[in-house]
Amino acid sequence: MTGDPTAMDAGCDPVRVTAYVDGALAAADRLQLEAHLAGCPRCQAQVDAERMLSSAVRSLPAPPLPHGLASRVRRRSRKPVALRRRVWIPSLAAMLVLVLWGRGSSSFVAWEVALDHAHCFGKQRVPAQVLTADPMRLSAWFDAQGTELPLVPASAGGLDLVGGRYCRLLDRTVAHVYYGGGENQLSLFVIPGSVRFDRAYVWRGSGTTVNLLRVAGSNVALVSTDVPSIAAFRRSLERTIAEGGSTVTLPPALW
Amino acid sequence: MTRDERFETEALPHLRALYGTAYRMTRNAHDAEDLVQETFLRAYRGFDRYEPGTNIRAWLFTILHRARTDAFRRAGRSPQTVEMAGEGPAVPAPQEALASGAEDIERALLALPEVFRVAVVLRDVEDLSYDEIAGVLDIPIGTVMSRIHRGRALLRAALSKRTP
Repeated sequence: MTGDPTAMDAGCDPVRVTAYVDGALAAADRLQLEAHLAGCPRCQAQVDAERMLSSAVRSLPAPPLPHGLASRVRRRSRKPVALRRRVWIPSLAAMLVLVLWGRGSSSFVAWEVALDHAHCFGKQRVPAQVLTADPMRLSAWFDAQGTELPLVPASAGGLDLVGGRYCRLLDRTVAHVYYGGGENQLSLFVIPGSVRFDRAYVWRGSGTTVNLLRVAGSNVALVSTDVPSIAAFRRSLERTIAEGGSTVTLPPALW
Repeated sequence: MTRDERFETEALPHLRALYGTAYRMTRNAHDAEDLVQETFLRAYRGFDRYEPGTNIRAWLFTILHRARTDAFRRAGRSPQTVEMAGEGPAVPAPQEALASGAEDIERALLALPEVFRVAVVLRDVEDLSYDEIAGVLDIPIGTVMSRIHRGRALLRAALSKRTP
């Protein structure tokens, strides 16, 4: 070594000095480096500086946690899966169902949503998880659960928005939006993209009409006992989505 | 204990640490929150793959890093991954870090290229070992070592400029 304390000699290895500061060297390497440090002020200075810096960074105040983040995280991460996990169906039936969904049997999908529509509106109160007449609030609610929903119309064909929920259709979790007005009721389901069905498929059974359509690249089912309501609603939905420019998408992980 | 209860007691207590790291990755509260939400969503869905009793912090940081990488990929960008060539800056006096206040240090930390910043944060703030950092970032130990070294050298250089 020369007299210059900042000169680097052949034994200096600044990267290994960093590892030494962090206690990341194997015993033999550590001993070797310590022997070097005893005679090298430059590397010893690096050790001192890195120790000081490391401890200063360690004691930096933590960035403040946004208010309510814990509850938002809880709500968003757990809900969709929790819903899906509650689905239980016997294995043989489940396999049949998977085949039918997978093959995209339009009539099967229509039949399922018609059953669910009748089941929900057959109750004293519709089993909504969110009750609102405001499409923005409805979208915000679904968004908070991890589902992007387009802006749906507030009212159409004499029907007003009532609310929404997630519904379980066999092995799937589907966004279900309720509309009501007078004697009429209408359900809007957003069907997972993996289910194929015919465009503009119409199904009728037990006085219920189901319209399966593709809107903005997504599969939507409209269900009602009142045919004119469906037609009017459909026009309004297509207009609202076209104006809103949004797409109906569901996170793939839900399926 | 149900799966939800386990997630609540094992994963959620690390929210503050994950948010702190996410904030220092993204450098703003909005993106940090999105990143943390995405991380916990993935963690919850993959919680069955987590072996109870193993290192949940490292597991969560791994998911955080992947979520960050995926966000970059979606945006058509990539975090600065090029290791800078050459030796570090000339060694500043050891007391420089003491002369700098927490605000200066935080500012200098946030100004580092992200690959170095993340390595330094995982080591110095989150106290992860080199092995754990290598697992989280999916890089060899030697790369962990050089990123931390490089990150600290840049930090020291930035702080010594501020100190007359």
